[in-house]
Amino acid sequence: MPKVEVPLEKWSGKVREVTLGGSGGRKGLTVGGEATLPFLSFEGAMPHPPSVAIEVSDTPASEWAAPLRQAWGDALEDPGAWAKKAAELGADLIVLRLNSAHPEQGNTGPEQAKAAAEKVLAAVNLPVVVLGPEVPEKDNEVLMAVSDLAAGQRIGLGYCMEKNYRTIAASCIANNHVALAKTPIDLNLAKQLNILISDVGLSADSIIMDPTTGALGYGLEYTYSVMERLRLAALVGDKMTAMPMFCTVGEESWRQKESKFAEGVPPTWGQHDRRSLVWEQITALALINAGADIVVLRHPKTVDAVKAAIRKLAG
Amino acid sequence: MSKFIATSAIRGAHGVVKDAEELLAQTIAEKGENTKIGFPNTAYWLPVIYGLTGHKVETLKDLKWPLEYARSLLPPVPKEKLWLPYLGETLDSGTATLFAEEAIEGLRFIRSEQPEKRNGFVCNGPIDDVQMRSWGIQMVDGRMPGFAAIVGAAKSNEVAVKIVRELQSKGLLVFLSGNVKGRSIIDQLLESGIELGYATFTVPFGTDTISAIYALGYATRAAFSFGGFTPGNARDVLLYNKFRCFAFALALGQVDDLKYATAAGAITYGFPVIADTLIPNVLPVGITRYEHVVSLPFDDIAGKDDLERAERLVQRCIEIRGVKVKVKKINIPVAYGPAFEGEVVRKANLSHEFGGKGGMCFELLQMKDMDEVQDGKIEVVGPDVDTLPLGNHPLAITVSVAGRKMQKDFEPVLERQIHHFVNGAEGIQHMGQRDITWIRFNKDSVAKGFRIKNLGDILHAKLQDDFGAIVDKVQVTLYTEKGKVAELLAKAREIYSERNVRAAGLTDESVDTYYSCTLCQSFAPTHVCVINPERVGLCGAYNWLDCRASFEINPRGPNQPVPKGAQVDTNKGEWDNVNKFVFDNTQMTHKRMTLYSLMDAPMTTCGCCECVMVLIPEANGVMIVSRDDYSMTPCGMTFTSLMGMVGGGQQTPGMMGHGKYYITSKKFIPAEGGLRRVVWMSSNLKEELTEDLKAVCERLGEPDLLDKIADEKVATTVEELMPFLETKGHPALTMPPLL
Amino acid sequence: MALSGIEIYKHLPKTNCKDCGFPTCLAFAMKLSQKSVELSACPHVSEAGKTALEAASRPPIRLVTLGGGEKKIAVGNEVVLFRHEKTFYHPPGLVVRVKDTQSLAEVEKLVAAAAGYTVERVGIHMGLDGFAIENASGNGAAFLKCVDAVAAKTTLPLVLMSSDPAALEGALAKYADRKPLIYAANKDNVAAVAALAAKHKCPVAVVSRDGLDQLSDLTEAVNKAGVEDIVLDPGARDFGGTLRSLTQLRRLALKKNFRPLGYPVITFPGDSASSPEEETLLASQHVAKYGGIVVLNQFDPSLVYPLLTMRLNIYTDPQKPIQVQPGVYQVGTPKNSSPLLISTNFSLTYFAIAGETESSGYPAWLLIVDTEGQSVLTAWAAGKFDADKIAKSVKQFDMASKLAHRSLVLPGHVAVLRGELEEALPDWKIMVGPREAVDIGGFLKRSWS
Repeated sequence: MPKVEVPLEKWSGKVREVTLGGSGGRKGLTVGGEATLPFLSFEGAMPHPPSVAIEVSDTPASEWAAPLRQAWGDALEDPGAWAKKAAELGADLIVLRLNSAHPEQGNTGPEQAKAAAEKVLAAVNLPVVVLGPEVPEKDNEVLMAVSDLAAGQRIGLGYCMEKNYRTIAASCIANNHVALAKTPIDLNLAKQLNILISDVGLSADSIIMDPTTGALGYGLEYTYSVMERLRLAALVGDKMTAMPMFCTVGEESWRQKESKFAEGVPPTWGQHDRRSLVWEQITALALINAGADIVVLRHPKTVDAVKAAIRKLAG
Repeated sequence: MSKFIATSAIRGAHGVVKDAEELLAQTIAEKGENTKIGFPNTAYWLPVIYGLTGHKVETLKDLKWPLEYARSLLPPVPKEKLWLPYLGETLDSGTATLFAEEAIEGLRFIRSEQPEKRNGFVCNGPIDDVQMRSWGIQMVDGRMPGFAAIVGAAKSNEVAVKIVRELQSKGLLVFLSGNVKGRSIIDQLLESGIELGYATFTVPFGTDTISAIYALGYATRAAFSFGGFTPGNARDVLLYNKFRCFAFALALGQVDDLKYATAAGAITYGFPVIADTLIPNVLPVGITRYEHVVSLPFDDIAGKDDLERAERLVQRCIEIRGVKVKVKKINIPVAYGPAFEGEVVRKANLSHEFGGKGGMCFELLQMKDMDEVQDGKIEVVGPDVDTLPLGNHPLAITVSVAGRKMQKDFEPVLERQIHHFVNGAEGIQHMGQRDITWIRFNKDSVAKGFRIKNLGDILHAKLQDDFGAIVDKVQVTLYTEKGKVAELLAKAREIYSERNVRAAGLTDESVDTYYSCTLCQSFAPTHVCVINPERVGLCGAYNWLDCRASFEINPRGPNQPVPKGAQVDTNKGEWDNVNKFVFDNTQMTHKRMTLYSLMDAPMTTCGCCECVMVLIPEANGVMIVSRDDYSMTPCGMTFTSLMGMVGGGQQTPGMMGHGKYYITSKKFIPAEGGLRRVVWMSSNLKEELTEDLKAVCERLGEPDLLDKIADEKVATTVEELMPFLETKGHPALTMPPLL
Repeated sequence: MALSGIEIYKHLPKTNCKDCGFPTCLAFAMKLSQKSVELSACPHVSEAGKTALEAASRPPIRLVTLGGGEKKIAVGNEVVLFRHEKTFYHPPGLVVRVKDTQSLAEVEKLVAAAAGYTVERVGIHMGLDGFAIENASGNGAAFLKCVDAVAAKTTLPLVLMSSDPAALEGALAKYADRKPLIYAANKDNVAAVAALAAKHKCPVAVVSRDGLDQLSDLTEAVNKAGVEDIVLDPGARDFGGTLRSLTQLRRLALKKNFRPLGYPVITFPGDSASSPEEETLLASQHVAKYGGIVVLNQFDPSLVYPLLTMRLNIYTDPQKPIQVQPGVYQVGTPKNSSPLLISTNFSLTYFAIAGETESSGYPAWLLIVDTEGQSVLTAWAAGKFDADKIAKSVKQFDMASKLAHRSLVLPGHVAVLRGELEEALPDWKIMVGPREAVDIGGFLKRSWS
């Protein structure tokens, strides 16, 4: 009889399992299913370790920081080539951002959206998530087209937000896709949106939630705590917070000055290429420890580092 | 159920089942029983049969069973006097009719009789899957409120056009079928040059009643696509349609047996039937959400001409089905939006004003019965600003609202929104409420064409848009004649005072449900406000009625009903269900929460409270500091440092955050002795609440109590406080010990 | 079971003598119930009171302090498992390790650079907290020389790393007044090392790779030698191992009030890392998940800055938002014709606005009003962001002298302030901007020419 008895939590709930792909010739990926907090294997199972997604854009991402542009090179010019390279570099899934559909960045329509999605879908057989420009009406327009195009392939579509969740949710029902529900760093809003989407009729097993990512130094602690709260709520049995969580780590990290700029910043920040990568990696790891099931990354070296960390956490 | 309708429907069902059987036999004889059958461009075979029974009809022989089943559903036709059929038999007949009708249309496709051709026009026939999915998404996401299946023919071509236009203007999808003595609404619309088809959301199925089956085929497939059901699960398909597909049938012209039978089929889907001829009503609610069958004889509809009657007919259909129509844009000549809320109309640019100093202006919102309110009607009685001279004028804004979920108690909640709504218009400023309303129009806006009438447009649009969950109809009347405004003002004042009395009479005992507020859990995860009639939310922004209305408007929102359950302690305000709710909603942190006690399991605080109450052990009493008081207090802490102690969702016996008006409540810490325990209070609170506090002191029989309560002007330490209390003889000093 | 403030109050002298630093006994009692002060701060509490309050007065994780100079490392005394439950109070000390096998010149250079490193973020100056000197040579004299070299370059707290009591004694004899952490007592040397800690009144770490039972045996042995200030090393080194063992330690202390393991933890992320980046990544995990002292194998600003930022984020009080300094900020190089945007000093609001304005391509002036760190809507609702306050800031920072125009852009959420602001700033044109920062680019494009 050991002297020290580690207190074990008796969680009554667990995170839902959600499968992306797995039909229409697309490779399947199941996320979620945790019966305890991340990697606490002495207490409960984590059947699917967190997945790593790589973000590709339908534009050549000319505004991206130099370390990213160097890493991706010519692949930036074509979302298909980009996705293919991402798959080779170890992505578990591909996240396609329809940046050009943003009213201020080209305002392209459903045809362009379909063309970009088609390229990515043709280039890889990994599961795919397609995100609109986060302008509710525009999202509906372009994502509907992509939804029909990929009917039956069980892709992820995002975002369902408070203003437009119905259309995307309905289309996910019709075409058997997974909806990504995004709310601004708040437990109750996240839960409410999950309920509203379920009310439309989309099965709770087809919802992944994005609690909104704050990068290191830019609200990371808010996201971190909201995710811990969401996960704890799920484990104590709240079924409407038990969706797997999705974090756009790369996008948020690389927006920040620390990652973007090599010059015109304080010398105490150190070397740009090293700092920017670590910035993305710390953000990713923090959110994985808070319960992220999918982290969306940008830099190939971050993908390696985060995958290694996940492996070592699970081991 | 009306015996007349039941008898007709059963008779109609017998007829159509027999027709289907004969047509099937004939077609098998001609083409063989292995001939393929099905509708074009659908993956759901004959969708109604497939949906309700799970049976796939692929060849003619597959059609035998559905017709046998249909026949087995048929009850005998009721005899003149012998037995009274029940709803069940009628609905069975309806289902049998739908199977027979679908079989007939399927057979007609094989016989090249579908889609129907008529005078060179090709009807649509069934809706294909692609279109079904696209409209289905719009119905699920709310862009398209529902569909209207019109069967028959209208009184005239003009009426037909008006009805369809009205339905289209509400965003409804329109299905067309049937005829009256050979004339179909399809003929009427084509003759009037109306374009029919998917693009115009008007789908001509065919000119007989049987083709109306395509509407139900559409509804069945939508239920599959968006409800995720397995075929054959009839109950799910029907319930999905009842609750999620806002559709109704509109029978124009004479109703024959087959139409009754088909209507019975529609009712099983939860779709009510409205006829513009005289037929028996079937009003009780049950299979459909509201009424089943409503007769609105066209010529009896109030209206100055047929066109107005047609408009009313559509309006009534929409009410009966409970279809929610969104107002897309506020139709006023100036810009509208939150950016204009803070605008001030200054003297130099003032065109017209209403109320304010020496003026007379008020606003009153009242609930009426559904048929007393004409939605969207806006009337100005008296001159508008285009004829009024510049300057101050009287104005009465009276709003009548009706809604199935509207409650009298929501009147003040909605009325308070008028301020916010009117302020959104560019160049218009609104201040005050009730009879102290003050509205100013600036010159630019009046020059752009803004009129008093537009206030009505704004109120109609915004009430419908923001409060559509409780408001179905909004009518606004604006009066500008002095005599009339004065007369109405007197009446309005009576209503305001009735409301005041009612609000005062609203006690915790008089209700069985309190409301929660979890708005602040984003930063205080273990805090939940439980709001009861006699204690406002601690931020002061939400009272019990506000929360109740908020729940009706947003049932998934932050204000949830908390049935109070059994009382555990009267004095402390403890109820078992409140405890349970608090436990479940504070991450299982707080097992108990009393609503009236400071010392025992007091309410948690988020950080937004207007006041903090703190025990002063030396004085055997409590002090109350307000958020606006920055000075030191006798407990040794300022408001800000107290917030650090009490905020963030903690339960801190001896300290509690609360709203200002809680101090004047009858339920103010009764367990600790009420206001008689208060030894110190921020002076700004004393000033703001003087009248109410005096009333409380009177009620307690200690009219000079208020003078015995210290404030920061006489004491900011316990050492200063004690002599003051002793000199004044404060009751707390001799009350039972708090500790 | 924690006592409420009222229950604690009953056991206090009730004299309001203020000797504890709080104005009243009740105020002190409330703080004590939150475990943010120790009972020992009250010099007058009776023995009976002390006994009664023992549970409430002793934090479940002991606060351990290193350092004799101005800058100390104080870790432990945490009361929650998750920062949202209250807050994390004592940020882990980040110390850089040197070895006595490195050349002294190398050591001195590293220490000078690391000790002098500071970086500023939202007005907070961040830096490293100390140095660990490892007796890698196994030679006591070399160790002392290395400690001398470090001690000469910095007054920051030290960790003395050796399993050889003699080597430790050599350094302690000279530097005990700096209150270094002795690392570490293990099952073989515990008696000797504990005696050293007792003799020199220094905190001591205990290490065991054989599980928590052995670790708690060690702390009890150290306790018996009269030493209370203990730091734990449960032996795990990699990502998964440290996450699990540190979580278990924190749970044992908080959920079971298990005294033998109620101490802060020291970690060595570099020991299992395959690269400096990976060490930083693992260190960032230790910052979030229960590390007390984190020993780094190198110093590189490009790695330390992100790590310090992580610590700042995680140790922010969730109920007290981070503030930025109120004042005028420039985005790009604004001219006197550039737009002036107004907002509050909640750091996230500021970052969002600065970021979006920057990516809009319009150089601009940002006037950040002091709202005690509240966001626009919250501050407005609390009366901390009103027309008066904005007008005062416009005048205080003399915006008129910086601009050729007289236009300012209000956040869309406070459009209601426009009228009052027009009155407070009669010469100014008040424009209403978008509600969300993401729309700033579009707004400037449309409305600013």
